[in-house]
Amino acid sequence: MLNIALPKGRLGDKVYNLLANIGYDCSEIYDDNRKLIFTNEKSGVCYLLVKPSDVAIYIAHGAADIGIVGKDILEEDKLDLYELLDLKLGKCNMCVAAPENYIEDLDRPLRVATKFTNIAKNYYLSLNREIEIIKLNGSIEIAPLLGLSDVIVDIVETGTTLKENHLKVFETIMPISARLIANKSSYKFKNSEILDLVTKLKKELTEND
Amino acid sequence: MAQIPDFLAKEDELGINLPLLFESRGYKKYRMSKFEEYSFYSDNRKFLTDDGVIAFNNADGRLMALKPDITLSIVKNAKLSEKLTRLYYNESVFRISHAAKDFREIKQCGIEVLGDIDSYITSEVILLAAKSLEMIDKNYSISVSHNDIVLSLIDDCDISLADRKKLAGCIGGKNTHDFRRICDECGIGDETAEKITSLFTIDMPINDAISKIETLVDTEKTINALNELKTLCKTLTACSIADKINIDLSVTQHIDYYNGIVFRGYVEKAPAAVLSGGRYDLLARKIRDNIGAIGFAVYLDNLNLYYRKQRDYDTDILIINKDSGNADKLIACVNGFCDIGKSVCVEREITESHRCHERYVFENGELTEEK
Repeated sequence: MLNIALPKGRLGDKVYNLLANIGYDCSEIYDDNRKLIFTNEKSGVCYLLVKPSDVAIYIAHGAADIGIVGKDILEEDKLDLYELLDLKLGKCNMCVAAPENYIEDLDRPLRVATKFTNIAKNYYLSLNREIEIIKLNGSIEIAPLLGLSDVIVDIVETGTTLKENHLKVFETIMPISARLIANKSSYKFKNSEILDLVTKLKKELTEND
Repeated sequence: MAQIPDFLAKEDELGINLPLLFESRGYKKYRMSKFEEYSFYSDNRKFLTDDGVIAFNNADGRLMALKPDITLSIVKNAKLSEKLTRLYYNESVFRISHAAKDFREIKQCGIEVLGDIDSYITSEVILLAAKSLEMIDKNYSISVSHNDIVLSLIDDCDISLADRKKLAGCIGGKNTHDFRRICDECGIGDETAEKITSLFTIDMPINDAISKIETLVDTEKTINALNELKTLCKTLTACSIADKINIDLSVTQHIDYYNGIVFRGYVEKAPAAVLSGGRYDLLARKIRDNIGAIGFAVYLDNLNLYYRKQRDYDTDILIINKDSGNADKLIACVNGFCDIGKSVCVEREITESHRCHERYVFENGELTEEK
């Protein structure tokens, strides 16, 4: 039995459909209830529906064998896992954005508002730029508008939210997409099951391309 | 191995059996102080994990550290014999976990061999690693690699230290997609990138892996590394543990310190490696003159959680003492049960929380079994 951690929400739905297409279906998942664990003995899978930012934690601790998570979460948490596939779903970029007319003052530390504090720290460390992190949990875009920060580091998908708040992208830090990850111990002891799923998934992704 | 009572937790059980195993192969116990001068660790910072060192000032004002690592300390302080020094330890290390934002005590038991390391010693160490894992769980697996096969190919590429670190991260995570992207970004050619990818995705039984690696290596360093791996695999196959070994070239250790066979051990119920080791001549030679070194550590913390022993009783016998005197007679009864291997607890009255197989009442100097 493979325990698969799926992120709740739109990405989780897309990934579930992908997995169901290659034989890992569990129709009970569509039932209108509040259950978070769904098992299909026949397909040999048990799906756990968890908060997207928790998927990697469940896997690192062995509560799930494999799972799907955004590259942003992986980069932020840096857990000891295998990253087996880029599913090329949920594509976006981790960016530095600021008000359209922003000019950087190099004479003082840069104030950066973000949910992704580790990504921001590492990025600016690589540039040798002194920063002051302002950790926020949502509505990051308003921080520079209210003078709380100079820039933000956040995920940008279409850029619409930025545009509507008169912000624009100044730097792209890295591309983000959904990744298939595995627990290192599960990979050793459930190797054939995991490799079988990876092979089928790769084939499905190539055909869909 | 020693007859271990059922009630001992896994960590305590291993704390007895692992030293017995190491002693049986001629390893001597190395006991160390919990403190060391901080400067020693700051000089060898890269050898340590990303977790921080707990530092403090001693009474003389010198900056000290609570030991964050055992290998470093042994290499620096151990008294070496002429040819070969075999040591084992059963100690705690102390680190600051950035993830948990807290201090951590990590219990480790392991071995270090310092001196002239040959193929026999390498095999002995891996076989001891296998036996150590078997004591935790019969269902274990060792991932063996050679540090020079994949990392030397990356070292040959003319790239920055930062890019090398990123690529090493991808290798450890079997992450081929980001590896290829970073190779593209830093100008590593397709052919080299393809070859390295094919190598670090090798994670298979010994014979299949050796055949595949043979088709991919062509530099002097990688061919020598493969030959070393082949010699080791021949011994492991002869010792009938080949089915527990995978050649997994995604296993690497820091190239500034490790220079040969490296390995990690997994057991079925633990979500991460519980054993890690390898050949670290480069580290040893930074501290001592011209010696080789190999060793491993078993991480004992959390094993009690993954290998929880459920007991359905607290003692074999519970005696309810309703007597106000006759303590000598009661002690004689308790000793009598203990002499025949039973565990006994004496209470004044029955407690709900105490579980036992047999219950007795001691009254007026007499012991009566309660049905």
